[in-house]
Amino acid sequence: MNCTRARETFSELLDPRTAATAHLEARTHLAGCPDCQREFSSLSQTLAALDAMPTPSPTPRLRQNFYAMLEEEKHSAASLRVATARDRRARRVSLWGWILSPVAAVALLVLGFMVGQRSVPAATSAPANDTVAMRQEIKSLQEQVSKMGQLVGYSLLQDQQRPANDRLRGVLASSTIENPNDKILNDLIGSLALDPSANVRLRALEALYPHADQDVVRAGVLASLPREQNPLVQVSMIDFLAAARDREAAPALEKLSSSNNADPSVRDAAKRALTQL
Amino acid sequence: MIATFEEIRVHPCPSVVEKPRFASVDTAADQRSDHALMLAVRDGDLDALGELFERHHGPLFGFLVKHTGDRTAAEDIGQTVFQRMLKYRHTYRDDGSFTAWMYHLARRCAADHFRKASAAPRATDPADLNEHADDTPHAAQSATTRDDHALLQTALARLDRDDREVLLLARFQELSFAEIAGILECSVGAAKVRAHRALHELRDIYFRLQKETSA
Repeated sequence: MNCTRARETFSELLDPRTAATAHLEARTHLAGCPDCQREFSSLSQTLAALDAMPTPSPTPRLRQNFYAMLEEEKHSAASLRVATARDRRARRVSLWGWILSPVAAVALLVLGFMVGQRSVPAATSAPANDTVAMRQEIKSLQEQVSKMGQLVGYSLLQDQQRPANDRLRGVLASSTIENPNDKILNDLIGSLALDPSANVRLRALEALYPHADQDVVRAGVLASLPREQNPLVQVSMIDFLAAARDREAAPALEKLSSSNNADPSVRDAAKRALTQL
Repeated sequence: MIATFEEIRVHPCPSVVEKPRFASVDTAADQRSDHALMLAVRDGDLDALGELFERHHGPLFGFLVKHTGDRTAAEDIGQTVFQRMLKYRHTYRDDGSFTAWMYHLARRCAADHFRKASAAPRATDPADLNEHADDTPHAAQSATTRDDHALLQTALARLDRDDREVLLLARFQELSFAEIAGILECSVGAAKVRAHRALHELRDIYFRLQKETSA
């Protein structure tokens, strides 16, 4: 290899990403050519000086201006339209989950019941009592499904265009009512389960504290816990269930306490709550 | 005496400026790639751009300071780059590279800056002169000190703008030549040749300045 060809490879030899594997012939030439060594050395020195140049940090002005610009864009009409469409898509998916899971559970139960009916011999004693008990259980489950349906209805009825402040005000207004009816409690549980704002969900949970003795409230909080992603709200829900001594929460808490995906603060809270139940 | 190849030091590329870490409620966002975050921005999740800003504004600012030799201009251009990311987010492609796209925008914004600066020279802020006197090419040009950084900044300022650009992209921004070729809108071979020539040009100017100042 001659000097010209060897020097064409210097850029790659000076780049640590390619130096290790590149151009054995050029290396051999370089090791035996003083002129090329001088050339290589001068380029290497230049790069060393370039690398040693200090890189200053920007002033806080850059960050301030960026976040101001981002907020402005978020509140622009076009961005709001896109965000609303995205929320609706996500809501539609989660609503189907809410609607289908209890329906599927009831369907399985009914199927199991029917299979059991057929397999039991006709001469078995006291079948009538079992059937009555089973029907009562199914009725009770249907009522629960109906309650879930009301929760789903809440989200459909809510005007999602309202800003979070308005929704927060609504929750606060509900919390001041001394003896709220089932509809108000359902609304609060609906906010806890479905509202996109963590602040609104936290206020809804706070408003539910005085009614922790009601089964439907505890069931609502317990049902919302696995869907919750915000660690702050998760920890508050866990504290609620621990304070309410809801033993039905134990399996969900055990799952959270051993989940690798959960935030460490959530795992700790779940472990703490399990000892309190 | 002839040196062996191992004796001739190859200086490693500097690591990109330490990225500031901020406590984040959403730990999942930390694990998302730049590309995934930018796709989320494109689909309307504008908060994802905050994470991209935190990851990239430092290296971007470093590139722009070295390219323009002017901190205030570098901040203004950096701001414009993120502004354009928002404005043109719908043009981000599914198969794109976020870093390459960012430097593509930065290159355009810097070109606008140079065009405006040549048309109407900007008044220098006196506060800037006091605080960052050595960072400006004007100061470096007249520098008679043996300060290596000032000499090199002068040498960089004297490089052709395109040469300076390709050299900084190749050396500091952890970009492949395929990405650089995409940014410069040329072939990979052409990008390599330009980087090679730019380094030689910088070396010549730098050594000449060293001789002049030591004379």
